[in-house]
Amino acid sequence: MEYRIENTGGNAVVRFTGDITFSENVTFRQLLKDLDEQNLTKCIFDLSKVEMVDSAGLGMFLIAREQAETNGWKLGVTGAHGHVASMLKLTKLSDLLEG
Amino acid sequence: MADTTGTPHKAAGRDKEITSSVHAAKILIVDDMVLMQRMIGLCLNRGGFENLLYASDGDQALKMIEEFMPDLVVLDLNMPTVSGYEVCRTLRADPKYNSLPILVQSASEAPEERVEVFNSGATDFVSKPINQPELLARVRMHLENKFLIHSLSDFRARIENELVLAREMQRSLLPEKASLIEIEKETRTIVESYYKASFELGGDLWGGWLLPNNQLGFYVLDISGHGVAAALNTFRVHASMARFKDTMTDPALFLTELNKAMKASFQLGQFGTMFYAVLNYETGTLTYAGAGAPRPMIISGTNVRLLDSSGIPVGVLKEPKYENHNDRLEVGESIFCYSDVLIEAPMAGGAILGEDGLIDWVKELVKSKGRTQLTANLLARFFDTQPEALPDDLTAVAIHRRSGIEEGNA
Repeated sequence: MEYRIENTGGNAVVRFTGDITFSENVTFRQLLKDLDEQNLTKCIFDLSKVEMVDSAGLGMFLIAREQAETNGWKLGVTGAHGHVASMLKLTKLSDLLEG
Repeated sequence: MADTTGTPHKAAGRDKEITSSVHAAKILIVDDMVLMQRMIGLCLNRGGFENLLYASDGDQALKMIEEFMPDLVVLDLNMPTVSGYEVCRTLRADPKYNSLPILVQSASEAPEERVEVFNSGATDFVSKPINQPELLARVRMHLENKFLIHSLSDFRARIENELVLAREMQRSLLPEKASLIEIEKETRTIVESYYKASFELGGDLWGGWLLPNNQLGFYVLDISGHGVAAALNTFRVHASMARFKDTMTDPALFLTELNKAMKASFQLGQFGTMFYAVLNYETGTLTYAGAGAPRPMIISGTNVRLLDSSGIPVGVLKEPKYENHNDRLEVGESIFCYSDVLIEAPMAGGAILGEDGLIDWVKELVKSKGRTQLTANLLARFFDTQPEALPDDLTAVAIHRRSGIEEGNA
């Protein structure tokens, strides 16, 4: 998994590439640190280039959601398709993560 | 000859326990000159080493090594009868001495000699005349390395033993054979199950129990992540379930109660996806609730129907809403539940099987090989394209309601 943060005046988009799984734990925590340093009002996770999210990956989204709540910014996901979209729907996490 | 202060000291950054092991080390000094033996011995004494042995030639050295098993050897090269090279080669030919550090001392500075010293199996090289601080530093370093490796392998062996024990304990959470036989007999079903942790410990669990009024309750659970943390959470969930006996006939209520208990104890980012169902094995009614587990299949003939197992996983929200759904499992039909690795693991070629792929497999296998060995057949096919080590824990459970045909075979 790789990510790129594009921040325009507090409105950020994080573009992910590759699978978001258990082994990406460290990279994902680095992303959360990076996001912490930005002055955010809103952040969208763009998953259009992600083919696979496993349960640990979903757990990481939940950690991001908690960080957003604590620091007062909004988190959303966009671009989920195929298996990723089914996972978000099955676990109803798509409802929790604002679009 | 350089002088040394001779104060035993703790090398920077080293563990205290290691330092004390280093000073208790048994060192064999091998030199045909008594003066050299004394000089090296004095240097090591001043450096805090007391446990010293001496040998005057290679032959005597090998005998003493055999008898006293020293922790390190300081070895002269040019000696009568058996040379230092011979000692090195003899020791290295015996696996017993694999980890014995051999520190060779020699007067020659020729690069060819150094190559030969290392080729014959020496660990390191100090030049003559002996520079005392250098000799001490090298002796300490090689002993520290030896003890560090030792303590790491001890630690590893201990952890491996503990994991084996923990794995056995975790297996004991799964339904016992005797209870499965009772369930099969009572409910006139065939229960087919499979469980495999990706690591020594896993985050999957499943179970089933007989309930009043001809009902069978069963669940599959997958704690996010795997390994030790996930395994500990399976113990937690398993222990909590027993507390909610009163709600076991009502799947949505059961998940609600379990969620309350889990939300309080799960760390952020940890959760469990789950499916819990109650089957009335007289009437065939099936009541179930889902918390984000993969959608179970009902297999009827060669048709496959998916159940709606969507729902917020347990342990995420304080008050998620779980809903009961109603369906039927007729005599001669099967319900198949599984954990997500079955559809998420990369297959030969790199793509994942996916839910659609799995349904195709189920249809083909039911058609060609029948319904009641479905799990076994599916997994055989799955493992044909999978390496031994899966990226996540795998659970698969099928409950086949027996028709008269299978009953005749049973």
